[in-house]
Amino acid sequence: MVKLIWLRTALVVPLLFAVATAAFFLASLSDADPARIAAGQNASPDVIQAMRVEMGLDGSTWHRYVEWLSGAVRGDLGASVYNKAPVAESIKQAMPITLSLTLGGLIVGVSLGVTAGVVSALKAGRPADRVLSTIATLGQSIPGFWLALLLTFLFALRWRWLPATGFVGPTTSITEWLRTITLPCLSIGLVSAASIARQTRSAMIGVLQQEYVRAAAAHGLSRRRVLLKHALKNAAAPVVTVLSFQVTSLLGGSIVVERLFNLRGLGAVAIDAVLRRDPDVIQGVVVCSVAAVFLVNLALDILYAWLNPRVRPA
Amino acid sequence: MTWRRLVRRFAGAKSNIAWLTVLLFVVAATVLAPLLPLDHPDDGSLMDSLLGPSRRHLLGTDSVGRDLLARTVFGGRVALVAALQAIVIAALIGIPIGMVIGYIGGWVDRIVMRVVEAIVSLPFLVIVIALISVTGPGLVKSMSIVGLIYSTWLLRLARGQVLAAREELYTDASRVAGNSPRRILMRQILPNIAPPLIVQITLLFAAAIVAESTLSFLGLGVQAPTASWGSMLADAQGLARTGLWPAVPPGVAIVVTVLALNQVGDGLRDSFSRDSAGGGFLSGRRTERSSIPANTPVTSPWSSPGSSPAMVSTPGEPLLVIDGLTVRFPNGKGERHHEVVSDFSLAVQRGEIVGLVGESGSGKSITALSVLGLVPAPGQVSARSILFDGRDLVGLDYRGMRSIRGREIGVVFQEPHAHLNPAFTVGDQLCEVLRTHLSMSRRQARERAIELLHDVGITRPAERFKAYPHQFSGGMAQRVVIALAVAAEPKLLIADEPTTALDVSVQRQILDLLVELRDSRGLSILLISHDLGVIADVADQVAVMYAGQLVEQSHARSLFESPLHPYADALLKAMPRNERRTGRLPSIRGSVPAATDFPPHCRFAARCDLVAGDCTDGPVELRFVGDRTVRCLHPLAAMCRAPSDALAEAVVRGDRA
Repeated sequence: MVKLIWLRTALVVPLLFAVATAAFFLASLSDADPARIAAGQNASPDVIQAMRVEMGLDGSTWHRYVEWLSGAVRGDLGASVYNKAPVAESIKQAMPITLSLTLGGLIVGVSLGVTAGVVSALKAGRPADRVLSTIATLGQSIPGFWLALLLTFLFALRWRWLPATGFVGPTTSITEWLRTITLPCLSIGLVSAASIARQTRSAMIGVLQQEYVRAAAAHGLSRRRVLLKHALKNAAAPVVTVLSFQVTSLLGGSIVVERLFNLRGLGAVAIDAVLRRDPDVIQGVVVCSVAAVFLVNLALDILYAWLNPRVRPA
Repeated sequence: MTWRRLVRRFAGAKSNIAWLTVLLFVVAATVLAPLLPLDHPDDGSLMDSLLGPSRRHLLGTDSVGRDLLARTVFGGRVALVAALQAIVIAALIGIPIGMVIGYIGGWVDRIVMRVVEAIVSLPFLVIVIALISVTGPGLVKSMSIVGLIYSTWLLRLARGQVLAAREELYTDASRVAGNSPRRILMRQILPNIAPPLIVQITLLFAAAIVAESTLSFLGLGVQAPTASWGSMLADAQGLARTGLWPAVPPGVAIVVTVLALNQVGDGLRDSFSRDSAGGGFLSGRRTERSSIPANTPVTSPWSSPGSSPAMVSTPGEPLLVIDGLTVRFPNGKGERHHEVVSDFSLAVQRGEIVGLVGESGSGKSITALSVLGLVPAPGQVSARSILFDGRDLVGLDYRGMRSIRGREIGVVFQEPHAHLNPAFTVGDQLCEVLRTHLSMSRRQARERAIELLHDVGITRPAERFKAYPHQFSGGMAQRVVIALAVAAEPKLLIADEPTTALDVSVQRQILDLLVELRDSRGLSILLISHDLGVIADVADQVAVMYAGQLVEQSHARSLFESPLHPYADALLKAMPRNERRTGRLPSIRGSVPAATDFPPHCRFAARCDLVAGDCTDGPVELRFVGDRTVRCLHPLAAMCRAPSDALAEAVVRGDRA
């Protein structure tokens, strides 16, 4: 198991390096000139040139790449051309919000999705399955941000149970933190739950047809043990594979709902940067969000190896 | 699968047709939008702002007085065109590249796939945003980027499908015929891999619609004032404090369109493959009490004709007495059923090995499952009684059967690896059974499990205790399965083809192990096999099954010396060890009929060399011949060729039960 963790971690580093490189050179392809933006609308060519030198943009792309990368390794991701704010600092502030939403959404998605999927599989073809499957299919077709809009309207504006906007860090107040992230997490988590439910259902149906499950029943084990130990651990393996896809889509979902709940997460930082053409910020967001996804996927890989001993390196 | 059959299957489900209709309605409405009597989507007057639904504005107006119906319909036009654009780009890039790299393979394939896997593992929206930062916002640019990313999905799918198709016979044939790779890909492979691609394209189209609305909602897609479902929702969000209504039409439009696309995609997928429900045996469906009177009493060769041993409780009683077991499965949609096992009766004495033999499809395994109550739904099991050690198993539910399964009756199945849970160590599985039935502590269970592994002949048992099933060879895995089956010290072991999946050299060892367990533990064994050779080696008694019926039951030696039923005779002659005697290995012509086609008369008549006129007159009952039973009007052995009235005397009629 330890060997597996090392192997996977060793794979993450070159991937992250490749992503960072791609992000940098992509940004340099852009026709937007950061110096022109920073200098302002009516700046003269001289001022823009001075700005370019000041920002270190006068060197070759290669030179700037080496500088940016060596800074990135030390945790310095450059600064916004807009307000000179260090990128690392804005990301540090935004990350807890996005991670709270993504992980919260994952918890909602997994707990509801797996439960619904297991129930559906056991009652396959019967009314309970049909109702759950219909809800899951419907849930898969609802865009998270529309669901967020409906939930905000009902729970925040109409009934005033939960706040419609804002974020309180978990270190400040756990209850307030939970209250602020409940609606966003629900909106992205429910969509995710729908797709996890469908995956779990089909995985579980597949496993229940396996002979070792029947053998477990033939050994006189209780129904609960047969289902929740023998069948579920095997059905969980393919579901975990799908989870890594869910993590990336939850991260995307959180970027969108952040906007709805007026949260300054990674999404807001990224979208502002795109609209303002702020290359360092974009690169920083891409690298950090990809790193976050890699870390979550690493955790999922380890979970997968625990569930499925056959993939462990000998 | 032919296309026509596919269309018929797809159209066979009413829901598919319904969703396709919804989809066509959406497409028609958006395509015909300029011809419909709608307001201009971008014009409105502030005087009309935020009106509710009325005759003038069927869906009301937004904050600047624009007609919501018109904006929704025209927004759909934007969404469909944008999604189409993304999908066309995705298909044109992804499918050809995927097909080519799948076909040529090698390092090109490896490099492309490395890049694709990396892109797929990144968060979709993050890459899209990063790429939009290069091109700048705008619907066409944004959707091109979406298409580019979606192409990796189609690329992966096309590659995988081509890899599979490359191994198919039709591709080989085409290659041998000298066709160029290009021709093979376009003419042979593409039509064959098209179905999954079409399904994926349908589902990606749905995803593209959501992507468009998301990007427009974020302001990275369409720019004001153009109507799009996403931009309408962005407008509606600003108005959320005044009311929810403006968010309803675009939201519902997205959900309906995406749902219809997903449903059509799923419907198409189901047309290629169907999954069925599993775990039916967990339902705890009880074995029903059969009310059909016995045509024959329990056909035990150990009891004299006419007596009903099932009812008598004597110290010498058999361990297991199955009386009148019938297993039915529903026949398609109607109320009709077909019988897989018909009125089957059998007794197993203590400490004996009873062989149950017959070709595949004769109902042997389902008989074994019936005793344990593990016949999957929708199978219906009924029996007059199944007496185990004096206890009637008929009518017990899942919970009641638990005290029998494992504890009283152990089972060994054919494929050892399929019957061991791959996710747990063998030690864990053994301990679980021990602790369930024998209320042992963790430590006791561990010690006993290691002992058991040793008993079944596994070397270094303490080490192997921690191993997973995939780390065992077939023969060793079967030993583990046997250890599991006998762990809770059952009185009966049902072994269903325990050696069939194993190497010939290992088969003998497993049989020896079974005999050894019988001798050391006084275990009774019901040994099921299609191989008379296996049975001949170890069984004391033999029951022969054919097409769901018991056709002969005898002492092993009598059966092998002089079979009564022509089927048993044919099986014996087909044994490889008789090859030398007859010069060549005879086989039984034809095969066991499917349960739906069991004839109403002698079920073996169609394959029997000795068939006579009366064989097809009606059902043939079991009858006693000495201490043996046979279901045949013209049994083989000389002792049965008695005067016909003497024969009639031996026939047991239903009224004697």
